[in-house]
Amino acid sequence: MKEKIRRFIFQELIFVAEPEKFSDDDNLLDAGLDSMGIMRLIMFIEEQFGVTLPDVEIDPDNVHSINALEQWILRHKA
Amino acid sequence: MNKSTIIQPLNPCDYFTLAMDEEIRKEGMPGSLCGFAIELKQCPDIAALKERVAEFSQRFPLILASLQQHKNRFYWCQRESEPQIFFQHKCPEAENEAQFQQSVIETLINEQQSREQLAPLTFHLLYGETKTVFFLRWIHPICDAVGIGLIFQYLCTDNKEQRQLFDTPKSEPLINLQLKKYSLWQKIKLFAKAHRYISSVDKLRSIIQAQPLPPQRLKLSVYKLTEEQTQTVAVLARQATGLTGTSLYYIGCLMRALEKMNPNQTGDAYCVPYAFNLRKQKAMSPLLGNQVGALFAQAPRDLLDNREALFSHLKQQNAEVIRQQLDYAFLPVMWAASWLSLEKHGENLRNSYTHHTERSSCLFSNVSLSDLSSQKLFGCEITGFFHLCQLSSPPGLALLTCHYQQQLTLSYNFIEPLFDKAWIEQLHGFMLQELLAE
Repeated sequence: MKEKIRRFIFQELIFVAEPEKFSDDDNLLDAGLDSMGIMRLIMFIEEQFGVTLPDVEIDPDNVHSINALEQWILRHKA
Repeated sequence: MNKSTIIQPLNPCDYFTLAMDEEIRKEGMPGSLCGFAIELKQCPDIAALKERVAEFSQRFPLILASLQQHKNRFYWCQRESEPQIFFQHKCPEAENEAQFQQSVIETLINEQQSREQLAPLTFHLLYGETKTVFFLRWIHPICDAVGIGLIFQYLCTDNKEQRQLFDTPKSEPLINLQLKKYSLWQKIKLFAKAHRYISSVDKLRSIIQAQPLPPQRLKLSVYKLTEEQTQTVAVLARQATGLTGTSLYYIGCLMRALEKMNPNQTGDAYCVPYAFNLRKQKAMSPLLGNQVGALFAQAPRDLLDNREALFSHLKQQNAEVIRQQLDYAFLPVMWAASWLSLEKHGENLRNSYTHHTERSSCLFSNVSLSDLSSQKLFGCEITGFFHLCQLSSPPGLALLTCHYQQQLTLSYNFIEPLFDKAWIEQLHGFMLQELLAE
């Protein structure tokens, strides 16, 4: 799951010179993930993993890193 | 036009901005000129700045090119002699510096020159005893606002090796890369989807607050919110439209403020087009060319009374656009439209299919320059920033917002006599009330 999310983020949303050095805990918002990017990412996740992520939960705690995103998805997959 | 002088053809997104340039010129105005005004704490070393600008133009000679037409297509072409691109404007001692700077900026943005003659990008240093502004003026087909931000960052970068990283990796226009991802049938489906979307937007007649008068001159009113006000706006925006909708909050507030100005104006809805950038965030490539798509925020008049309902509607509309990939659906439309005459292209961009009247109630753009917060221009601190653009009439009104160092700046660009300064001042009063939910 994390690999798919990671690939989408670095192929479509954010430019990072060395993505392999970007850890799953590094801050995506500081790296440039903007509002349009977050929306695209959520749509991608919903389609890929068959979950619905409620609008009210779109906050920095849930989207700030790849690990945070994974946790958020798993809470709704359960 | 001599074909051997061609440096580069325009990309489909460039045509989109060129069609608007033609629309503005048809009205007797200067075309799609835009500007970035960067306020500096001190005056930089002028010789060093001039040298860096020259270095930039050697590396990116496109900014010295002439825009020329061959049959129905347009190209950036070499000129016989290089245009001047760096200018100094010193405030005379007896003059008020703020007024001098505003007057120079308004003169530059209203300068009439043919497309062929105009230098696509020029750099202006406006300075006096206490105030310095570095002003970049460009014609839209050369570049979009994010690209201009990158160019400014290039000029701020003292390390030569770091400067080499700009515009790398080399990339073709992003619209072409995105379109290559789709098969012919997918492109046709996207085209049809975009057409249906526009038709649905066009069912409602847009409310236009401009006076029905011929345009004369672009004017500018810039308001900077305090840090405290900016913080309040950020909290309210987060509550109203969430982490993903700050621009939608500004647009919703603007719709309500416009409605307060004249609730009896004819029309069914406010329709505000805005651009989204195809570049990845933090990407340094492509530097030049337009890498944008267009979207619309539209709200029917009967929603405007209720803030909560309005923001919820705008947010849902935006989510639906992304869910249905309507943002990318416009790309094949932009490609197809680039083969139309500029006149036909402009007509399609501006006029409602249903009502044959102007589609845009006003224009909106939000630029974030967070990457500049740690930058200096030859050691000079950047204290503020605003941007401006020429526009067609109607709508004759654009709100360009910018968030820089805990301060929100609202730059109202308006065409006289369709609007006047007093009207804009009143509009800003309402806008402030809306932004602060007072």
